[in-house]
Amino acid sequence: MLDALKDIIRKSSIHVCLVNSGGCNGCDIEVVALLSPRYDLEQYGIYVHNNPREADVILVTGAVTEQWKENLRRIYTKAPEPKIVVALGNCPISGDVFNQEGGCVNAPVSDFIPVDAEVSGCPPRPSEILEAILAVAPGAIAAKGRQKE
Amino acid sequence: MILPIGPIHPALKEPLRLKLKTQGERVISAEIDYGYVHRGIERIMVGKTWQKSIYLAERVCGICSYIHTQTFAETFEKISDERAPLRAQYLRVLTNELDRIQSHLLANSTFFKAVEHETLFMYMLHLREPVMDAIELLTGNRVNMGWNVVGGVRMDVKDVHLQQIMTIMNKLEVEYQKYVEMYEQGPLMGLRSKKVGRMTKEEAIKARAVGPIGRASGLKHDLREDHHTYRDNLDFKVIWRKEGDTFARNMNRFDEIPQSISLIKQVIENLPEGDIRKKVEIGAGFGEWRNEAPRGEVTYMIETNGNLINNASIRTPSIMNIDACAKYMLKDVATVSDAIAAYASVDPCIACVERVVIVDEKGGEKQFQGIFDIK
Amino acid sequence: MSSVIWYMYEFARKSWAEKFAGAKSEHDIVEKPDRFRDFPEVFKEYCIGCGACTAACPAPGAIKLVRDEDTTDMEGLTYPVIVMGACIRCGFCAEVCPTDPKTLTCGENHLIREEFTILPVDKMFVIDDYLCIRCKKCMKSCQVDAIHEEDNKILVDQKKCISCGDCLDACPVKGALKGIYISNIEEQKQIINLIVQTLEKTIEDRQEDLKKLSSDKIFKMEYPLVELKEKAINIIPKEEMVMDLMEKITDRLKMRIITWDEEKCTKCRLCVEECPSGAITYNKETGVTRNPEKCLRCSTCHQTCPFGVAGYYLAKFLIDKNSDGEDVILITLKPSQLPVVD
Repeated sequence: MLDALKDIIRKSSIHVCLVNSGGCNGCDIEVVALLSPRYDLEQYGIYVHNNPREADVILVTGAVTEQWKENLRRIYTKAPEPKIVVALGNCPISGDVFNQEGGCVNAPVSDFIPVDAEVSGCPPRPSEILEAILAVAPGAIAAKGRQKE
Repeated sequence: MILPIGPIHPALKEPLRLKLKTQGERVISAEIDYGYVHRGIERIMVGKTWQKSIYLAERVCGICSYIHTQTFAETFEKISDERAPLRAQYLRVLTNELDRIQSHLLANSTFFKAVEHETLFMYMLHLREPVMDAIELLTGNRVNMGWNVVGGVRMDVKDVHLQQIMTIMNKLEVEYQKYVEMYEQGPLMGLRSKKVGRMTKEEAIKARAVGPIGRASGLKHDLREDHHTYRDNLDFKVIWRKEGDTFARNMNRFDEIPQSISLIKQVIENLPEGDIRKKVEIGAGFGEWRNEAPRGEVTYMIETNGNLINNASIRTPSIMNIDACAKYMLKDVATVSDAIAAYASVDPCIACVERVVIVDEKGGEKQFQGIFDIK
Repeated sequence: MSSVIWYMYEFARKSWAEKFAGAKSEHDIVEKPDRFRDFPEVFKEYCIGCGACTAACPAPGAIKLVRDEDTTDMEGLTYPVIVMGACIRCGFCAEVCPTDPKTLTCGENHLIREEFTILPVDKMFVIDDYLCIRCKKCMKSCQVDAIHEEDNKILVDQKKCISCGDCLDACPVKGALKGIYISNIEEQKQIINLIVQTLEKTIEDRQEDLKKLSSDKIFKMEYPLVELKEKAINIIPKEEMVMDLMEKITDRLKMRIITWDEEKCTKCRLCVEECPSGAITYNKETGVTRNPEKCLRCSTCHQTCPFGVAGYYLAKFLIDKNSDGEDVILITLKPSQLPVVD
């Protein structure tokens, strides 16, 4: 009973924390564009604010630079359970064009924290991001929550 | 006490640590920690052909990605002593101004978000979406456009596109007036922005402030004045203000939007016929080129052997502006929230900044602390 | 206060009611424009497996060429596969694809005119007209018709060439068709200088043996490759490129060696006058000396000297394996048959 109630509430209230761990900003502004009245992220119950301590979804948008190696783990531990990590764009998935000789990146992000979903593209269109988050986030949060309890 | 803000913080979009030295609520001074987004782009460029490097230049910064490719291409054109065909130059202006409009709208929306004025924040983003559509229509991607090549642009524009862009611009011109009024005459917005974070002209010169931030402090300097396409073919005037506060910076950006719209209209009306691209035999040598990005001047210095890049150096505007903010704007600000507002009004773009690692001869690598470090 | 009045005024105007009634969601949320560059589409059957897309791709690991398994009926197809997590959707692969119709399509990028689809090539292929036997095997093997015949010469059209290297495999004459690296020119020069200087020094160290050689015999020696290779890799850290370069240099290199036998010298100073570069000097204390750095190896001194002080030899090189199975440079030295003043 309580689980079911929690599931319903969690599905319609997702807090997102945006972590730019060394990207070019392109994915970040596409997330900001999602807030615009045209896409209106908040109508799906998703609220973007950069606070890991109350986040359900951590959006990582960057190839991991030197400074982020430790900090990324710290941010992940600070987010409360259940939490899911979405790798947004190519940088966290493969390192994009920066993952070459001479680059200072430690991609992929999954080396540091567990990644639940991936959205590829450089950057993905807002509609693609929306589709991916909606497809994965509510179900995954509910499922993770149940495992822990 | 020292109040650290960032790198992950609700007030900031991008990773940066802002250390505010406070006495009670009053901010005495500020310090900035960089280094969270250093990816080593200049080093990756070394030993690559321009065809590959232009995609790297595009990813220096996601917001003003267009101007980076244009400057990169024009640097190579300068090395080879060539110029793109006139039609290509016009198309570059068209895309550049579209990019500037969306960047300025985004910058102002960030400021409104920082002062928690959600209504204007939403209005700004709502205005921005049609501009993004126009960019996508023209180039094929919303952010990283892949539009420039050395010697011209990739694809020709069709009449349908021009008509659609014209419609979007006409609509934008009318709609946007209302929101400027809301900001200019809104009493609450005035309280949050007027006489906050002031920087005088002398300080702006000392801090090498560029772009709308410098222009709002009375530096009448816009590199578009010197660019050959603008200078020879288009009607362009530098927009500047004297006040030097947060309000002036935002208004300066607002005032540049109608000018960009008028430039776009001029381009669409006078677009010459002809080629959009010509083959350039890349010469060997060193070249330097400056352009006006939405945030100020961006400089590319490239040394090439005719095929591969031997050495590349990029100077972006944000680094000067952020330092100017930390040193001059955030001294003696009344409240912490005003400090955040002043910081947001600078339109900081951290991804641009992070290309510097200072190497101390004795102690090895050292973290970059700002432009005043470089002697 | 003024804002309250403004809000009341706005409320009274009732424009909000119209907007509320007429509100509708816009259709363009998911619609993509024609030019939108989505992930490239692959049409397997057109692919010729040249690898132009992988060479051009700016993102590492975004395109992989794969080959299906052979079946009894036909050979497996070779075609590119796009890795979604690494592709940056720039459309450059579609631009450079040389097939017609294109194997890769992306937005409208594959429609860009052919003369501008510049492939960032590493190697340039050229035909040595002197060695070419005009068998035209390379023309048949070329998949993009970049090799053509003109005035009884076989030529490579650099604009069309995609640097696949198929012609190199087809060519029956060694050295007639060459792939030249066009990058790192300065470093290549350094390696050539390094190899030439090392070999010359090695030979000059064996002067004593050379002097004993009679004019109709040849002299053979070996020089181990390992050390030289390590030094060269320090300059260009690509083993493949270094080996290719070394092979080409040693294939074509003919070195002229001058030896100097001071014991035979009678200080007649005939050679000092004759030397065109002033490499041979005389002073009372040291006698006649030769400065190898200035020397042009023109053999004038060898022909002038009546006492046989200056010896003149020709050296040729070949990279091969010796009896122990190590890579060595085989050096063959032959005394020159130039007429000498008696």
